[in-house]
Amino acid sequence: MSVNKIPVGPFHPLLEEAEYFELKVDGETVVDIDLEIGWMHRGHEFISESKTFTQSIFLVERICGICSTSHPLALVHAVEDIDNIEIPLRARYIRTLIGELERIHSHLLWIGLAGHFIGYDTLWMWAWKYREPILQMFEMITGNRNHYGMMRVGGVARDVDPVIIPKLLEDLDIVDQKMVMIAGAAKDDPVLRSRLKNVGILTHQAAVDLCAVGPTARASGIAIDVRKDDPTDAYDLVEFNMIVQKNGDVYDKLVVRVLETLESTKIVRQCLEKLKVVKGPILNDVKEVSEGEGIGRYEAPRGEVFHYIRSDGTNRPIRHKVRAPSYVNIPTYVASCKGIPVADALITLAAVDPCYCCTERTIQLIDANRNPVAVDLLKLSREKTEQVRREIHD
Amino acid sequence: MGWYKRRLAKSLWVFHVSGSPCNNCDIEILDLLTPKYDLERFGIKLVGSIRHADVLLVTGVFNQKVAPKIRKIYEQAPKPIFVVGVGTCMSGACCFRDSYNIVEDRQAVIPVDLYIPGCPPKPEAMIAAVAKLLGVLNARN
Amino acid sequence: MQEIDQFKERMDGKISHLIDKKRRFYFNVESENLREVAEYLFKNLGCRLSTATAMEMMHGIEILYHFSLDRAGQYFCPRVVITDKEHPKVPSITSIIGGAVWIEREMFDLWGIEFDGHPRMEELLTLHHPQGLKQPMRFGRTE
Ligand code: SF4
Repeated sequence: MSVNKIPVGPFHPLLEEAEYFELKVDGETVVDIDLEIGWMHRGHEFISESKTFTQSIFLVERICGICSTSHPLALVHAVEDIDNIEIPLRARYIRTLIGELERIHSHLLWIGLAGHFIGYDTLWMWAWKYREPILQMFEMITGNRNHYGMMRVGGVARDVDPVIIPKLLEDLDIVDQKMVMIAGAAKDDPVLRSRLKNVGILTHQAAVDLCAVGPTARASGIAIDVRKDDPTDAYDLVEFNMIVQKNGDVYDKLVVRVLETLESTKIVRQCLEKLKVVKGPILNDVKEVSEGEGIGRYEAPRGEVFHYIRSDGTNRPIRHKVRAPSYVNIPTYVASCKGIPVADALITLAAVDPCYCCTERTIQLIDANRNPVAVDLLKLSREKTEQVRREIHD
Repeated sequence: MGWYKRRLAKSLWVFHVSGSPCNNCDIEILDLLTPKYDLERFGIKLVGSIRHADVLLVTGVFNQKVAPKIRKIYEQAPKPIFVVGVGTCMSGACCFRDSYNIVEDRQAVIPVDLYIPGCPPKPEAMIAAVAKLLGVLNARN
Repeated sequence: MQEIDQFKERMDGKISHLIDKKRRFYFNVESENLREVAEYLFKNLGCRLSTATAMEMMHGIEILYHFSLDRAGQYFCPRVVITDKEHPKVPSITSIIGGAVWIEREMFDLWGIEFDGHPRMEELLTLHHPQGLKQPMRFGRTE
């Protein structure tokens, strides 16, 4: 048996880390994967110990540009957990509104990139086009397209101006319509279905053993969702469904994300309606944090974000632990990639939703001279889609 | 070189490399390609290999592990190449200044010609910067 | 509250300093009992290992494991205190929970805590680091 190694990376940005993969392949089949991470390690936990809690919010926002609400939310939950701080009702709705808008934009981003990886560039352009209205809504509410700086311990930093709510609802309707269209297209397209069905299966047992979270776990039949299990903010005041699928393949992960986006638009609409009537303060001024420890969690688009804060009674933490969802989801690649063809490896990796930019632009880059076996995974993946398409149409 | 620069000023091919960013700058760069901003109407294209590129977009505060790799990419690039540093991370290390793992002197790793500050910069700001770069290149000829 | 009572009964004598705080339970465990507690939490109660936090305190190194009981929204946090700061060592729980591999490697990397029985005890984040960064989260860290 001759095993070849395909290096992928290291420029493969993921939350805090970029990673370097080594796919070990035998002929067309992946036999093993070795991961090396640490390319993006910036020492957040260390820096955070020298920042006050309010400063930390801006720091944790910059852990990941896509989850730039999830991390601050988990952090403020952790600080509030130390003292059981209550937050005003209006602030709870605003937090949920921002969190859900973020989920929509993140899932749209993923759908687009998944399309790009299998050669559906139209899907990429569509999904990203309809992501723009969401970013505009963010700009209207918070003043920035990304990195909103909205969260504070005890509430939120800005109020939602009632004047803009009708416009937001209008925009949401457009996104909603387009989402239904994309969902229909994704579900009915025979090429997409046969290209993604039964690819990169993560079994229920493996998902439990590797402690997967978020859509990765929900696609494998594990019904966990922090929004339902341990509701914070306004999640116990709004109605939505948890989406769970059984197979654990890439197709199911796609379905989970698409349907979740539709649920999110439902939540956003409820929040906006409530914000019309619920009045009151948005920030509970927290003067000091007492000694103790607190755990904060939030369901980010990719799964549970976990923050742990240990405070000694000053305004800085003595220990701040961050665990991003991809950290536990990435090891599931290895389980779902073993034994699949190389052409499917890329979309399986992408299905966990770890990375956003330029997977294909990174392959074969650094080690092009050293490794003659390096192949372009993107090209392989697209060729396979072409082949599936031809088979279906003939 | 004159002919090369003239061609360069018409359609820039861009390669994008990220050295420990938070991803947001990278997403905004990709956003430029999608229908709303559509940078391709200026003839600007994101390419898959550094060997085809005229402009190198760099994001992020480099950590010590990634810095040599970025240097290597820069060395592989065909010269002349214009290096654009996107984001506050590139120009001022953002909030990561106190970290134990970042490179203090990013100019020593890769000589940057143009900085676009902002965290992340608005796509409009990036388009303006690219237009300025084109203007400068054209004036040089 | 059922699970925690069950748990207290089963682990009587093995856990101490229990702090019960609104769906979060923190308690101390001796390192020789850690594997047993982890196995009970993971296999019998059906918890998910969320992560583990290591921290260096004046009196030694603490490892706080976070087990999430998703159906009840609770967190079980066994705490192991190691007083030997020079050569911290604890038993590995990777043979019970596959998801612990990276978590333990990270603690080995940033704090230098060794895990007995870990299949691949090497750095996670600073592997092949050009400057050879060693245990950056310890007090005695030198630049
Ligand atoms: S400048 Fe801001 S948005 Fe850009 S990579 Fe740095 S932290 Fe992220």
